[in-house]
Amino acid sequence: MKVLGAIIVLLFGSLLIYCTLDFPSWGDPASPASTHVSPYYIENTLEDTAVPNIVTAVLADYRGYDTMFETVVIFSAGIACFFLLRSFKRIEPDTRLYRHVPTGITFRIEKGGRYPRESVDFERIDLQWVPHDLIIKTTCRMIIPFIQIFALYVIAHGHHSPGGGFQGGVILGASVIIFAVSHNLRSSTNRISEKNVVLLSTTGVLLYAATGGLCLLLGSNFLDYSALSQIFGVDSVTARSFGILLVEIGVGMAVMAVMISLYYNLASAGKQDEGL
Amino acid sequence: MDVVVIILLISGLLFFTGGSIGILRFPDFYTRLHPAGKLDTAGLVLTMSSMALYTLHEFSVASLLTAFKIILIVVFVFFTSPTATHAIIDAGVRAGLGHWTKGEK
Repeated sequence: MKVLGAIIVLLFGSLLIYCTLDFPSWGDPASPASTHVSPYYIENTLEDTAVPNIVTAVLADYRGYDTMFETVVIFSAGIACFFLLRSFKRIEPDTRLYRHVPTGITFRIEKGGRYPRESVDFERIDLQWVPHDLIIKTTCRMIIPFIQIFALYVIAHGHHSPGGGFQGGVILGASVIIFAVSHNLRSSTNRISEKNVVLLSTTGVLLYAATGGLCLLLGSNFLDYSALSQIFGVDSVTARSFGILLVEIGVGMAVMAVMISLYYNLASAGKQDEGL
Repeated sequence: MDVVVIILLISGLLFFTGGSIGILRFPDFYTRLHPAGKLDTAGLVLTMSSMALYTLHEFSVASLLTAFKIILIVVFVFFTSPTATHAIIDAGVRAGLGHWTKGEK
């Protein structure tokens, strides 16, 4: 079986490599892409979509269908990780550790003992991973709002500068992951539960598809945002720019949620009870 | 103005050079992270401040905004870089890595 797989992979690989011989050489000014496609984008993007950043316009408008399925790929990566790793058997450890924050004393409470209510003074800590680092916690708490503001800026400002849904979504996801790293997984799942994360990722993908479907309902092609001018009450060029923003928000939500979901599952080996 | 920019830039590069040499020459994990944490932060703060000063050559709202963004980078790196070094060293201590003593290879 292994040999058969290797043969198939080798055959397919050599076929693909053989096909690359037919490509125009890299950076060839006479290739079809540089003679027909790129000049069109460079000359017409601003008039068509009112978006100064050509990359964003190409990604979310001209090739919006492509990007939609890129988002779906990311979504399915998150779902695949969920199905592969997530285990729902919850084994509660017999003993629990609590830290009294003002004094730094750790309590070990055996089974049957009375657990203290979690508050500012008492926090439950993991059995395997028990760091208490004021410096890291404080710095992360201070830096996370700025990271999130920057992520929103990257998403919203993708029309004018490098950025967009994918980048902003990754930064947003990273801000939650850094919270989970600096505290622990449990306090992170208390803020954004697993259910919400999965819901968010689905909503993101659906927002993208729904924008396309809305265009379809308004009587033009799928993901042809100029149809949205009837809703927004602006001319069709500005409507395309708004449509790109909508789609970018969807992408950002999906990417953020998938990043967080991947982290939750990987850090705790699918148990999502204790971990970094 | 130019003189200040050049002085800042060169002193920043000096810190970077010292940091790189330190990372290569120091004997163990902890001592290597010492130049990596301190000198890189100092070098970045100095070079970035010189960039911020340099963009203010033509004084306008746009250049002011650029300088402000560079200063923001400086502020955030000033907080996060030492914290990251602290976290790495903390992880080393928790993992039980011993420190280097004199005479050890």
